[in-house]
Amino acid sequence: MANPLKLFYMAVWRNLLTLTRYKANFLFEILTSALFGFGMLLFSFAFNASLLGETVGSTNYVAFFVLGVSFQSWQGISLWGASGMFQGELSTGQIDYTFSCPFSRYWYIVSNIAASAVQEALFFIPMFCIGLWLTSATLTVTGVILGLMATMLSVAALAQLGAIFASLTLRYRQVTAIFGFFNFAFQMLTGMFIPVQLLPTPLQIVGQCLPQTFGMDLLRYYVMGTKAIMPVEYEWITLLIQLAALGIIARLAISHLERTAKEQGLHYI
Amino acid sequence: MPAITCGGLVKEYKSQKLVRALDNASFEVAEGEVFGLLGPNGAGKTTLVKILATLLKPTRGHAEVGGYDVDNEEHKVRRIIGYAGQDSERSAYFRLTVRENLLYFAHALRDMSVQTARERIEYMASAIGFSDRLGKHFIALSGGEKQLVIVMRAIMHGPEVCFLDEPSKSLDPLTSQQVRDFLKAYAKENVITICLTTHNMKEAEEFCDRIAFINHGQLRFIGTPSDFKRRVTVKEIVEIGVSDLGKTVESALMKIPGVSTLTHEGNIRLYCDDAFSALSEVLAVLNNANTKAPVRMVEPSLEDAYALFVKEDEANKNG
Repeated sequence: MANPLKLFYMAVWRNLLTLTRYKANFLFEILTSALFGFGMLLFSFAFNASLLGETVGSTNYVAFFVLGVSFQSWQGISLWGASGMFQGELSTGQIDYTFSCPFSRYWYIVSNIAASAVQEALFFIPMFCIGLWLTSATLTVTGVILGLMATMLSVAALAQLGAIFASLTLRYRQVTAIFGFFNFAFQMLTGMFIPVQLLPTPLQIVGQCLPQTFGMDLLRYYVMGTKAIMPVEYEWITLLIQLAALGIIARLAISHLERTAKEQGLHYI
Repeated sequence: MPAITCGGLVKEYKSQKLVRALDNASFEVAEGEVFGLLGPNGAGKTTLVKILATLLKPTRGHAEVGGYDVDNEEHKVRRIIGYAGQDSERSAYFRLTVRENLLYFAHALRDMSVQTARERIEYMASAIGFSDRLGKHFIALSGGEKQLVIVMRAIMHGPEVCFLDEPSKSLDPLTSQQVRDFLKAYAKENVITICLTTHNMKEAEEFCDRIAFINHGQLRFIGTPSDFKRRVTVKEIVEIGVSDLGKTVESALMKIPGVSTLTHEGNIRLYCDDAFSALSEVLAVLNNANTKAPVRMVEPSLEDAYALFVKEDEANKNG
Protein backbone atom coordinates (compact mmCIF):
# COMPACT_ATOMS: atom_id res chain seq x y z
CA MET A 1 0.00 0.00 0.00
CA ALA A 2 1.25 3.50 -0.79
CA ASN A 3 2.69 5.40 2.13
CA PRO A 4 0.21 8.23 3.05
CA LEU A 5 3.10 10.55 3.92
CA LYS A 6 4.64 9.98 0.51
CA LEU A 7 1.25 10.58 -1.16
CA PHE A 8 0.96 13.83 0.79
CA TYR A 9 4.40 15.29 0.06
CA MET A 10 4.35 14.20 -3.56
CA ALA A 11 0.96 15.90 -3.94
CA VAL A 12 2.43 19.09 -2.41
CA TRP A 13 5.41 18.80 -4.77
CA ARG A 14 3.12 18.27 -7.79
CA ASN A 15 0.89 21.23 -6.83
CA LEU A 16 3.84 23.56 -6.27
CA LEU A 17 5.37 22.59 -9.60
CA THR A 18 2.06 23.15 -11.39
CA LEU A 19 1.62 26.49 -9.63
CA THR A 20 5.02 27.73 -10.79
CA ARG A 21 4.44 26.52 -14.37
CA TYR A 22 1.91 29.37 -14.81
CA LYS A 23 4.13 32.26 -13.74
CA ALA A 24 1.73 35.14 -14.34
CA ASN A 25 -1.00 33.30 -12.43
CA PHE A 26 1.41 32.52 -9.57
CA LEU A 27 2.41 36.18 -9.24
CA PHE A 28 -1.24 37.22 -9.07
CA GLU A 29 -1.99 34.62 -6.38
CA ILE A 30 0.52 36.42 -4.17
CA LEU A 31 -0.71 39.89 -5.13
CA THR A 32 -4.35 38.94 -4.47
CA SER A 33 -3.69 37.97 -0.87
CA ALA A 34 -2.00 41.37 -0.24
CA LEU A 35 -4.85 43.17 -1.98
CA PHE A 36 -7.45 41.29 0.03
CA GLY A 37 -5.97 42.54 3.31
CA PHE A 38 -5.97 46.12 2.02
CA GLY A 39 -9.54 45.78 0.75
CA MET A 40 -10.80 44.57 4.11
CA LEU A 41 -9.23 47.63 5.73
CA LEU A 42 -11.17 49.91 3.36
CA PHE A 43 -14.31 47.88 3.90
CA SER A 44 -14.33 48.74 7.60
CA PHE A 45 -14.88 52.46 6.82
CA ALA A 46 -18.21 51.78 5.10
CA PHE A 47 -19.86 50.55 8.30
CA ASN A 48 -19.73 54.03 9.74
CA ALA A 49 -23.29 55.23 8.95
CA SER A 50 -22.61 58.94 9.53
CA LEU A 51 -19.55 58.82 7.27
CA LEU A 52 -21.65 57.05 4.61
CA GLY A 53 -24.39 59.69 4.94
CA GLU A 54 -21.88 62.53 4.52
CA THR A 55 -20.26 60.87 1.52
CA VAL A 56 -23.20 59.63 -0.57
CA GLY A 57 -26.18 61.37 1.01
CA SER A 58 -27.84 58.16 2.24
CA THR A 59 -27.33 56.04 5.33
CA ASN A 60 -29.16 53.08 3.82
CA TYR A 61 -26.08 50.86 3.64
CA VAL A 62 -28.11 47.68 3.13
CA ALA A 63 -29.69 49.05 -0.08
CA PHE A 64 -26.29 50.42 -1.16
CA PHE A 65 -24.78 46.96 -0.64
CA VAL A 66 -27.62 44.96 -2.23
CA LEU A 67 -27.60 47.07 -5.40
CA GLY A 68 -23.83 46.58 -5.55
CA VAL A 69 -24.19 42.81 -5.14
CA SER A 70 -26.87 42.64 -7.84
CA PHE A 71 -24.46 44.46 -10.14
CA GLN A 72 -21.73 41.95 -9.27
CA SER A 73 -23.64 39.13 -11.03
CA TRP A 74 -23.31 40.92 -14.36
CA GLN A 75 -19.84 42.23 -13.62
CA GLY A 76 -18.69 38.66 -13.03
CA ILE A 77 -20.15 37.30 -16.23
CA SER A 78 -19.12 40.29 -18.35
CA LEU A 79 -15.54 40.20 -17.20
CA TRP A 80 -14.91 36.49 -16.82
CA GLY A 81 -17.62 34.67 -18.76
CA ALA A 82 -15.74 34.59 -22.05
CA SER A 83 -12.46 33.72 -20.34
CA GLY A 84 -14.13 30.80 -18.65
CA MET A 85 -15.57 29.69 -21.98
CA PHE A 86 -12.13 29.83 -23.62
CA GLN A 87 -10.53 27.97 -20.73
CA GLY A 88 -13.13 25.26 -21.20
CA GLU A 89 -12.54 25.13 -24.95
CA LEU A 90 -8.77 25.11 -24.43
CA SER A 91 -8.89 22.20 -22.05
CA THR A 92 -11.29 20.12 -24.14
CA GLY A 93 -9.58 20.90 -27.43
CA GLN A 94 -12.76 22.35 -28.90
CA ILE A 95 -10.89 25.62 -29.43
CA ASP A 96 -9.18 24.16 -32.50
CA TYR A 97 -12.50 23.47 -34.20
CA THR A 98 -13.97 26.80 -33.09
CA PHE A 99 -11.01 28.76 -34.40
CA SER A 100 -11.05 26.97 -37.74
CA CYS A 101 -14.51 28.46 -38.36
CA PRO A 102 -15.10 31.71 -40.24
CA PHE A 103 -16.55 34.20 -37.78
CA SER A 104 -15.36 37.34 -36.05
CA ARG A 105 -13.59 36.39 -32.81
CA TYR A 106 -14.71 39.69 -31.30
CA TRP A 107 -18.39 39.01 -31.97
CA TYR A 108 -18.05 35.40 -30.88
CA ILE A 109 -16.80 36.59 -27.50
CA VAL A 110 -19.26 39.46 -27.10
CA SER A 111 -22.24 37.31 -28.19
CA ASN A 112 -21.30 34.63 -25.71
CA ILE A 113 -20.98 37.20 -22.93
CA ALA A 114 -24.41 38.56 -23.83
CA ALA A 115 -25.85 35.02 -23.81
CA SER A 116 -24.34 34.40 -20.38
CA ALA A 117 -25.66 37.75 -19.15
CA VAL A 118 -29.19 36.70 -20.11
CA GLN A 119 -28.69 33.53 -18.08
CA GLU A 120 -27.19 35.53 -15.21
CA ALA A 121 -30.25 37.79 -15.14
CA LEU A 122 -31.84 35.00 -13.10
CA PHE A 123 -29.54 36.10 -10.29
CA PHE A 124 -29.63 39.82 -11.07
CA ILE A 125 -33.41 40.19 -11.11
CA PRO A 126 -34.19 38.86 -7.59
CA MET A 127 -31.31 40.83 -6.05
CA PHE A 128 -32.31 43.94 -7.97
CA CYS A 129 -35.91 43.57 -6.84
CA ILE A 130 -34.77 43.32 -3.22
CA GLY A 131 -32.69 46.47 -3.83
CA LEU A 132 -35.79 48.22 -5.20
CA TRP A 133 -37.89 47.14 -2.22
CA LEU A 134 -35.24 48.46 0.17
CA THR A 135 -35.28 51.82 -1.66
CA SER A 136 -39.05 52.11 -2.01
CA ALA A 137 -39.03 55.54 -0.34
CA THR A 138 -37.06 57.12 -3.18
CA LEU A 139 -38.22 54.93 -6.06
CA THR A 140 -39.76 56.27 -9.31
CA VAL A 141 -40.51 54.51 -12.60
CA THR A 142 -38.23 56.90 -14.50
CA GLY A 143 -35.53 56.25 -11.90
CA VAL A 144 -35.76 52.48 -12.40
CA ILE A 145 -35.65 52.82 -16.21
CA LEU A 146 -32.68 55.21 -16.17
CA GLY A 147 -30.90 53.10 -13.55
CA LEU A 148 -31.34 49.98 -15.66
CA MET A 149 -30.16 51.82 -18.79
CA ALA A 150 -27.01 52.94 -16.98
CA THR A 151 -26.47 49.37 -15.81
CA MET A 152 -26.85 48.00 -19.36
CA LEU A 153 -24.44 50.57 -20.78
CA SER A 154 -21.94 49.84 -18.07
CA VAL A 155 -22.27 46.07 -18.64
CA ALA A 156 -21.75 46.57 -22.40
CA ALA A 157 -18.53 48.47 -21.67
CA LEU A 158 -17.50 45.80 -19.17
CA ALA A 159 -18.03 43.14 -21.82
CA GLN A 160 -15.29 44.86 -23.83
CA LEU A 161 -12.97 44.47 -20.87
CA GLY A 162 -14.15 40.86 -20.66
CA ALA A 163 -13.16 40.37 -24.28
CA ILE A 164 -9.67 41.67 -23.46
CA PHE A 165 -9.42 39.23 -20.56
CA ALA A 166 -10.65 36.41 -22.81
CA SER A 167 -7.87 37.13 -25.27
CA LEU A 168 -5.40 37.08 -22.35
CA THR A 169 -6.64 33.56 -21.65
CA LEU A 170 -5.51 32.54 -25.10
CA ARG A 171 -2.07 33.90 -24.31
CA TYR A 172 -1.55 32.86 -20.68
CA ARG A 173 -3.81 29.73 -20.55
CA GLN A 174 -4.22 29.58 -16.78
CA VAL A 175 -5.54 32.88 -15.48
CA THR A 176 -7.77 32.08 -12.51
CA ALA A 177 -5.55 34.00 -10.05
CA ILE A 178 -5.40 36.97 -12.42
CA PHE A 179 -9.21 36.92 -12.50
CA GLY A 180 -9.36 36.75 -8.71
CA PHE A 181 -7.05 39.72 -8.36
CA PHE A 182 -8.91 41.95 -10.79
CA ASN A 183 -12.34 40.84 -9.62
CA PHE A 184 -11.61 41.85 -6.05
CA ALA A 185 -9.75 45.02 -7.11
CA PHE A 186 -12.72 46.03 -9.26
CA GLN A 187 -15.17 45.37 -6.43
CA MET A 188 -13.21 47.60 -4.08
CA LEU A 189 -12.30 50.34 -6.56
CA THR A 190 -15.65 50.84 -8.26
CA GLY A 191 -17.89 51.42 -5.28
CA MET A 192 -19.56 48.04 -5.21
CA PHE A 193 -19.37 47.73 -1.42
CA ILE A 194 -17.83 51.03 -0.30
CA PRO A 195 -18.35 54.49 -1.81
CA VAL A 196 -15.64 55.48 -4.27
CA GLN A 197 -15.43 58.84 -2.50
CA LEU A 198 -13.96 57.10 0.57
CA LEU A 199 -10.96 55.80 -1.38
CA PRO A 200 -7.60 57.61 -1.48
CA THR A 201 -7.48 59.98 -4.48
CA PRO A 202 -5.15 57.85 -6.69
CA LEU A 203 -7.49 54.87 -6.25
CA GLN A 204 -10.52 57.06 -7.02
CA ILE A 205 -8.89 58.01 -10.33
CA VAL A 206 -8.31 54.33 -11.16
CA GLY A 207 -11.88 53.53 -10.14
CA GLN A 208 -13.30 56.23 -12.40
CA CYS A 209 -11.54 54.69 -15.39
CA LEU A 210 -13.57 51.48 -14.90
CA PRO A 211 -17.06 51.31 -16.44
CA GLN A 212 -18.83 49.74 -13.47
CA THR A 213 -18.05 52.77 -11.26
CA PHE A 214 -20.37 55.14 -13.09
CA GLY A 215 -22.82 52.35 -13.95
CA MET A 216 -23.36 51.60 -10.26
CA ASP A 217 -23.19 55.26 -9.27
CA LEU A 218 -25.94 56.17 -11.76
CA LEU A 219 -28.03 53.17 -10.69
CA ARG A 220 -27.88 54.28 -7.03
CA TYR A 221 -28.39 57.92 -7.99
CA TYR A 222 -31.61 57.15 -9.86
CA VAL A 223 -32.92 54.44 -7.53
CA MET A 224 -31.70 55.51 -4.08
CA GLY A 225 -31.29 59.23 -4.67
CA THR A 226 -27.62 59.21 -3.61
CA LYS A 227 -25.16 61.99 -4.47
CA ALA A 228 -23.41 61.20 -7.76
CA ILE A 229 -19.61 61.21 -7.95
CA MET A 230 -19.69 63.67 -10.88
CA PRO A 231 -22.55 65.53 -12.61
CA VAL A 232 -24.68 62.73 -14.11
CA GLU A 233 -24.34 64.05 -17.69
CA TYR A 234 -20.56 63.61 -17.40
CA GLU A 235 -21.04 60.10 -16.07
CA TRP A 236 -23.27 59.12 -19.03
CA ILE A 237 -20.77 60.59 -21.51
CA THR A 238 -17.86 58.87 -19.75
CA LEU A 239 -19.67 55.54 -19.98
CA LEU A 240 -20.20 56.02 -23.73
CA ILE A 241 -16.55 56.95 -24.22
CA GLN A 242 -15.47 53.93 -22.17
CA LEU A 243 -17.67 51.65 -24.28
CA ALA A 244 -16.16 52.98 -27.53
CA ALA A 245 -12.54 53.06 -26.32
CA LEU A 246 -12.65 49.63 -24.69
CA GLY A 247 -14.37 48.25 -27.80
CA ILE A 248 -11.48 49.39 -29.98
CA ILE A 249 -8.86 48.08 -27.53
CA ALA A 250 -10.73 44.76 -27.27
CA ARG A 251 -10.74 44.26 -31.05
CA LEU A 252 -7.02 45.05 -31.27
CA ALA A 253 -6.18 42.85 -28.28
CA ILE A 254 -8.14 39.88 -29.65
CA SER A 255 -6.53 40.15 -33.06
CA HIS A 256 -3.02 40.52 -31.61
CA LEU A 257 -3.34 37.83 -28.99
CA GLU A 258 -4.92 35.31 -31.33
CA ARG A 259 -1.88 35.65 -33.55
CA THR A 260 0.46 35.34 -30.60
CA ALA A 261 -1.35 32.28 -29.25
CA LYS A 262 -1.09 30.71 -32.70
CA GLU A 263 2.70 30.73 -32.38
CA GLN A 264 2.57 27.85 -29.92
CA GLY A 265 -0.77 26.29 -30.78
CA LEU A 266 -4.12 27.25 -29.37
CA HIS A 267 -4.90 24.12 -27.44
CA TYR A 268 -1.90 23.91 -25.13
CA ILE A 269 -2.92 24.48 -21.54
CA MET B 1 -5.43 25.33 -59.45
CA PRO B 2 -4.25 22.99 -56.68
CA ALA B 3 -6.46 22.81 -53.58
CA ILE B 4 -3.42 22.96 -51.30
CA THR B 5 0.01 24.40 -52.02
CA CYS B 6 2.91 24.48 -49.57
CA GLY B 7 6.32 25.97 -50.25
CA GLY B 8 9.27 25.70 -47.85
CA LEU B 9 7.03 25.52 -44.77
CA VAL B 10 8.94 25.67 -41.50
CA LYS B 11 7.47 25.62 -38.01
CA GLU B 12 9.63 26.09 -34.96
CA TYR B 13 8.39 25.98 -31.37
CA LYS B 14 10.27 27.96 -28.78
CA SER B 15 10.36 26.14 -25.47
CA GLN B 16 13.52 25.48 -23.45
CA LYS B 17 15.24 24.85 -26.76
CA LEU B 18 14.15 25.55 -30.28
CA VAL B 19 12.22 22.60 -31.73
CA ARG B 20 11.74 22.40 -35.47
CA ALA B 21 8.48 20.52 -35.91
CA LEU B 22 8.24 21.09 -39.66
CA ASP B 23 11.25 21.47 -41.89
CA ASN B 24 10.95 22.90 -45.37
CA ALA B 25 7.77 21.09 -46.43
CA SER B 26 6.74 21.66 -50.05
CA PHE B 27 3.94 19.87 -51.90
CA GLU B 28 0.68 20.33 -53.78
CA VAL B 29 -2.65 18.56 -53.47
CA ALA B 30 -5.02 18.56 -56.42
CA GLU B 31 -8.70 19.44 -56.18
CA GLY B 32 -10.81 16.45 -55.15
CA GLU B 33 -7.78 14.42 -54.11
CA VAL B 34 -7.60 12.42 -50.89
CA PHE B 35 -4.13 13.08 -49.51
CA GLY B 36 -2.77 11.12 -46.53
CA LEU B 37 -0.01 12.17 -44.18
CA LEU B 38 1.84 9.26 -42.62
CA GLY B 39 4.65 9.24 -40.12
CA PRO B 40 5.60 8.27 -36.58
CA ASN B 41 4.21 10.10 -33.54
CA GLY B 42 5.71 13.58 -33.26
CA ALA B 43 6.78 13.58 -36.91
CA GLY B 44 5.05 16.87 -37.71
CA LYS B 45 1.79 15.70 -39.31
CA THR B 46 -0.55 17.50 -36.92
CA THR B 47 1.59 20.63 -37.05
CA LEU B 48 1.28 20.66 -40.84
CA VAL B 49 -2.49 20.13 -40.72
CA LYS B 50 -2.92 22.88 -38.13
CA ILE B 51 -0.94 25.35 -40.22
CA LEU B 52 -3.14 24.57 -43.21
CA ALA B 53 -6.29 24.89 -41.07
CA THR B 54 -5.12 28.39 -39.94
CA LEU B 55 -4.62 27.24 -36.35
CA LEU B 56 -0.86 27.64 -36.28
CA LYS B 57 1.33 30.30 -37.75
CA PRO B 58 4.23 29.03 -39.85
CA THR B 59 7.67 30.32 -38.88
CA ARG B 60 8.74 30.53 -42.53
CA GLY B 61 7.48 29.57 -45.96
CA HIS B 62 4.02 29.89 -47.38
CA ALA B 63 0.90 27.79 -47.78
CA GLU B 64 -2.31 28.27 -49.70
CA VAL B 65 -5.64 26.51 -49.38
CA GLY B 66 -8.10 27.04 -52.23
CA GLY B 67 -5.78 29.75 -53.54
CA TYR B 68 -5.87 31.73 -50.27
CA ASP B 69 -2.82 32.35 -48.11
CA VAL B 70 -3.29 30.60 -44.76
CA ASP B 71 -1.47 33.32 -42.88
CA ASN B 72 -2.74 36.51 -44.51
CA GLU B 73 -6.15 35.44 -45.77
CA GLU B 74 -7.15 33.17 -42.93
CA HIS B 75 -10.79 34.28 -42.91
CA LYS B 76 -11.17 33.26 -46.56
CA VAL B 77 -9.48 29.94 -45.87
CA ARG B 78 -11.80 29.26 -42.93
CA ARG B 79 -14.85 29.73 -45.13
CA ILE B 80 -13.86 26.84 -47.37
CA ILE B 81 -12.40 24.32 -44.95
CA GLY B 82 -13.64 21.72 -42.51
CA TYR B 83 -11.53 20.48 -39.62
CA ALA B 84 -11.59 17.54 -37.24
CA GLY B 85 -8.83 17.50 -34.66
CA GLN B 86 -7.54 14.70 -32.49
CA ASP B 87 -9.26 15.80 -29.27
CA SER B 88 -12.59 14.35 -30.28
CA GLU B 89 -13.50 12.80 -26.94
CA ARG B 90 -14.38 16.09 -25.32
CA SER B 91 -14.64 18.63 -28.09
CA ALA B 92 -18.42 19.03 -28.20
CA TYR B 93 -21.05 19.96 -25.63
CA PHE B 94 -21.49 17.01 -23.31
CA ARG B 95 -25.08 17.64 -22.28
CA LEU B 96 -26.41 18.43 -25.72
CA THR B 97 -27.55 15.61 -27.97
CA VAL B 98 -25.64 14.78 -31.14
CA ARG B 99 -28.34 16.50 -33.21
CA GLU B 100 -28.27 19.62 -31.00
CA ASN B 101 -24.48 19.77 -31.10
CA LEU B 102 -24.34 19.49 -34.88
CA LEU B 103 -27.14 22.00 -35.29
CA TYR B 104 -25.36 24.49 -33.01
CA PHE B 105 -22.04 24.20 -34.84
CA ALA B 106 -23.63 24.32 -38.29
CA HIS B 107 -25.97 27.22 -37.61
CA ALA B 108 -23.93 29.36 -35.21
CA LEU B 109 -20.38 28.82 -36.42
CA ARG B 110 -20.87 27.79 -40.06
CA ASP B 111 -23.80 30.03 -40.90
CA MET B 112 -25.96 27.23 -42.34
CA SER B 113 -29.70 27.70 -42.22
CA VAL B 114 -31.45 25.59 -39.59
CA GLN B 115 -33.45 23.77 -42.26
CA THR B 116 -30.40 22.88 -44.38
CA ALA B 117 -28.46 21.87 -41.29
CA ARG B 118 -31.25 19.57 -40.11
CA GLU B 119 -31.51 17.92 -43.54
CA ARG B 120 -27.74 17.47 -43.78
CA ILE B 121 -27.55 15.96 -40.29
CA GLU B 122 -30.27 13.42 -41.11
CA TYR B 123 -28.67 12.59 -44.47
CA MET B 124 -25.19 12.05 -43.06
CA ALA B 125 -26.41 10.09 -40.06
CA SER B 126 -28.45 7.82 -42.28
CA ALA B 127 -25.49 7.27 -44.63
CA ILE B 128 -23.24 6.04 -41.83
CA GLY B 129 -25.94 4.24 -39.85
CA PHE B 130 -25.96 6.76 -37.03
CA SER B 131 -29.59 7.92 -37.09
CA ASP B 132 -30.53 6.02 -33.93
CA ARG B 133 -27.90 7.91 -31.92
CA LEU B 134 -28.73 11.47 -32.98
CA GLY B 135 -30.89 11.90 -29.87
CA LYS B 136 -28.19 10.71 -27.47
CA HIS B 137 -26.21 13.09 -25.28
CA PHE B 138 -22.63 13.50 -26.52
CA ILE B 139 -21.30 12.37 -23.12
CA ALA B 140 -23.21 9.09 -23.44
CA LEU B 141 -21.49 8.08 -26.69
CA SER B 142 -18.57 5.67 -26.94
CA GLY B 143 -15.16 6.97 -28.02
CA GLY B 144 -15.71 5.80 -31.57
CA GLU B 145 -19.17 7.34 -31.77
CA LYS B 146 -17.80 10.66 -30.56
CA GLN B 147 -15.17 10.45 -33.27
CA LEU B 148 -17.93 9.95 -35.85
CA VAL B 149 -19.74 13.05 -34.62
CA ILE B 150 -16.56 15.08 -34.95
CA VAL B 151 -16.04 13.81 -38.51
CA MET B 152 -19.66 14.68 -39.35
CA ARG B 153 -19.15 18.15 -37.88
CA ALA B 154 -16.11 18.66 -40.11
CA ILE B 155 -17.89 17.88 -43.37
CA MET B 156 -21.51 18.77 -42.81
CA HIS B 157 -21.24 22.27 -44.31
CA GLY B 158 -19.74 20.88 -47.54
CA PRO B 159 -16.24 22.38 -47.34
CA GLU B 160 -13.98 22.56 -50.40
CA VAL B 161 -11.05 21.22 -48.39
CA CYS B 162 -11.33 19.10 -45.30
CA PHE B 163 -8.56 18.41 -42.77
CA LEU B 164 -9.01 15.27 -40.69
CA ASP B 165 -6.46 14.52 -38.00
CA GLU B 166 -6.61 10.75 -37.43
CA PRO B 167 -10.30 10.38 -38.37
CA SER B 168 -10.40 6.65 -37.71
CA LYS B 169 -8.85 6.87 -34.26
CA SER B 170 -10.95 4.87 -31.76
CA LEU B 171 -13.15 3.38 -34.49
CA ASP B 172 -13.64 -0.36 -34.74
CA PRO B 173 -12.63 -1.87 -38.12
CA LEU B 174 -16.21 -2.12 -39.40
CA THR B 175 -17.18 1.43 -38.45
CA SER B 176 -13.87 2.67 -39.76
CA GLN B 177 -14.61 1.05 -43.12
CA GLN B 178 -18.11 2.50 -43.11
CA VAL B 179 -16.79 6.00 -42.44
CA ARG B 180 -14.16 5.65 -45.14
CA ASP B 181 -16.73 4.50 -47.68
CA PHE B 182 -19.04 7.36 -46.76
CA LEU B 183 -16.25 9.95 -46.83
CA LYS B 184 -15.01 8.72 -50.17
CA ALA B 185 -18.46 8.87 -51.74
CA TYR B 186 -19.28 12.20 -50.08
CA ALA B 187 -15.96 13.71 -51.15
CA LYS B 188 -16.42 12.50 -54.71
CA GLU B 189 -20.01 13.72 -54.95
CA ASN B 190 -19.21 17.15 -53.52
CA VAL B 191 -15.65 17.46 -54.96
CA ILE B 192 -14.08 17.81 -51.54
CA THR B 193 -10.32 17.64 -51.18
CA ILE B 194 -9.40 15.67 -48.09
CA CYS B 195 -6.10 15.93 -46.26
CA LEU B 196 -5.86 13.43 -43.43
CA THR B 197 -3.28 12.12 -41.02
CA THR B 198 -3.38 8.47 -40.11
CA HIS B 199 -1.54 5.60 -38.50
CA ASN B 200 -3.94 3.18 -40.09
CA MET B 201 -2.15 1.78 -43.14
CA LYS B 202 -5.28 0.08 -44.43
CA GLU B 203 -6.97 3.46 -44.43
CA ALA B 204 -4.03 5.04 -46.24
CA GLU B 205 -3.93 2.26 -48.82
CA GLU B 206 -7.66 2.10 -49.54
CA PHE B 207 -8.67 5.70 -49.07
CA CYS B 208 -5.81 7.93 -50.18
CA ASP B 209 -5.04 8.81 -53.78
CA ARG B 210 -1.58 9.91 -52.66
CA ILE B 211 0.33 9.82 -49.41
CA ALA B 212 3.22 11.77 -47.94
CA PHE B 213 5.56 10.28 -45.39
CA ILE B 214 6.88 12.72 -42.78
CA ASN B 215 9.59 12.10 -40.23
CA HIS B 216 11.40 14.62 -38.04
CA GLY B 217 9.38 17.35 -39.71
CA GLN B 218 10.68 16.54 -43.18
CA LEU B 219 8.71 15.16 -46.11
CA ARG B 220 10.57 12.00 -47.10
CA PHE B 221 8.18 10.69 -49.71
CA ILE B 222 5.19 11.82 -51.75
CA GLY B 223 3.37 9.52 -54.16
CA THR B 224 0.68 6.89 -54.45
CA PRO B 225 0.47 4.10 -51.86
CA SER B 226 1.64 1.63 -54.53
CA ASP B 227 4.63 3.86 -55.34
CA PHE B 228 5.46 3.92 -51.66
CA LYS B 229 5.36 0.14 -51.42
CA ARG B 230 7.39 -0.29 -54.60
CA ARG B 231 9.97 2.23 -53.53
CA VAL B 232 10.45 0.82 -50.06
CA THR B 233 9.74 -2.85 -50.37
CA VAL B 234 11.83 -3.78 -53.34
CA LYS B 235 12.84 -6.31 -50.74
CA GLU B 236 11.05 -9.52 -49.87
CA ILE B 237 9.99 -10.67 -46.45
CA VAL B 238 10.58 -13.82 -44.44
CA GLU B 239 8.32 -13.93 -41.39
CA ILE B 240 9.11 -16.00 -38.31
CA GLY B 241 6.12 -16.68 -36.09
CA VAL B 242 7.63 -15.56 -32.77
CA SER B 243 7.86 -12.14 -31.20
CA ASP B 244 11.43 -12.40 -29.91
CA LEU B 245 14.39 -14.71 -30.49
CA GLY B 246 17.02 -13.13 -28.30
CA LYS B 247 20.03 -11.09 -29.33
CA THR B 248 22.31 -14.00 -30.34
CA VAL B 249 19.85 -15.61 -32.72
CA GLU B 250 18.70 -12.31 -34.15
CA SER B 251 22.25 -11.18 -34.89
CA ALA B 252 22.87 -14.55 -36.59
CA LEU B 253 19.80 -13.93 -38.75
CA MET B 254 21.08 -10.47 -39.67
CA LYS B 255 24.34 -12.05 -40.89
CA ILE B 256 22.50 -14.07 -43.56
CA PRO B 257 23.58 -12.73 -46.98
CA GLY B 258 20.95 -10.40 -48.48
CA VAL B 259 19.13 -9.71 -45.18
CA SER B 260 19.16 -5.99 -44.50
CA THR B 261 16.57 -5.36 -41.77
CA LEU B 262 14.90 -7.22 -38.92
CA THR B 263 11.73 -5.84 -37.36
CA HIS B 264 9.51 -6.92 -34.46
CA GLU B 265 5.88 -6.35 -35.39
CA GLY B 266 4.13 -9.08 -33.49
CA ASN B 267 6.20 -11.58 -35.45
CA ILE B 268 9.81 -11.19 -36.49
CA ARG B 269 10.25 -10.04 -40.06
CA LEU B 270 13.41 -10.21 -42.13
CA TYR B 271 13.62 -7.93 -45.15
CA CYS B 272 15.91 -9.44 -47.75
CA ASP B 273 16.84 -9.30 -51.44
CA ASP B 274 15.67 -12.84 -52.14
CA ALA B 275 13.36 -14.45 -49.62
CA PHE B 276 13.51 -17.87 -51.26
CA SER B 277 17.33 -18.04 -50.98
CA ALA B 278 17.28 -16.70 -47.43
CA LEU B 279 14.65 -19.20 -46.29
CA SER B 280 16.98 -22.20 -45.99
CA GLU B 281 19.56 -20.18 -44.07
CA VAL B 282 16.88 -18.88 -41.69
CA LEU B 283 15.79 -22.45 -40.99
CA ALA B 284 19.42 -23.43 -40.38
CA VAL B 285 19.90 -20.60 -37.84
CA LEU B 286 16.69 -21.56 -36.02
CA ASN B 287 17.67 -25.21 -36.05
CA ASN B 288 21.08 -24.42 -34.54
CA ALA B 289 19.33 -22.42 -31.82
CA ASN B 290 16.88 -25.29 -31.19
CA THR B 291 13.99 -22.95 -31.93
CA LYS B 292 10.89 -24.33 -33.56
CA ALA B 293 8.75 -21.60 -35.08
CA PRO B 294 6.64 -21.29 -38.22
CA VAL B 295 8.54 -19.61 -41.05
CA ARG B 296 6.99 -18.26 -44.24
CA MET B 297 7.47 -15.80 -47.05
CA VAL B 298 4.93 -12.94 -47.10
CA GLU B 299 3.76 -10.35 -49.59
CA PRO B 300 4.84 -6.88 -48.39
CA SER B 301 1.95 -4.64 -47.34
CA LEU B 302 1.87 -0.86 -46.94
CA GLU B 303 2.38 -1.45 -43.23
CA ASP B 304 5.58 -3.37 -43.99
CA ALA B 305 6.71 -0.58 -46.27
CA TYR B 306 5.94 1.96 -43.55
CA ALA B 307 7.81 0.05 -40.85
CA LEU B 308 10.81 -0.41 -43.10
CA PHE B 309 10.80 3.18 -44.20
CA VAL B 310 10.75 4.42 -40.59
CA LYS B 311 13.57 2.08 -39.66
CA GLU B 312 15.73 3.07 -42.62
CA ASP B 313 14.99 6.72 -42.04
CA GLU B 314 16.11 6.47 -38.43
CA ALA B 315 19.25 4.59 -39.49
CA ASN B 316 20.09 7.28 -42.07
CA LYS B 317 19.50 10.02 -39.52
CA ASN B 318 21.79 8.37 -36.98
CA GLY B 319 24.47 8.02 -39.65
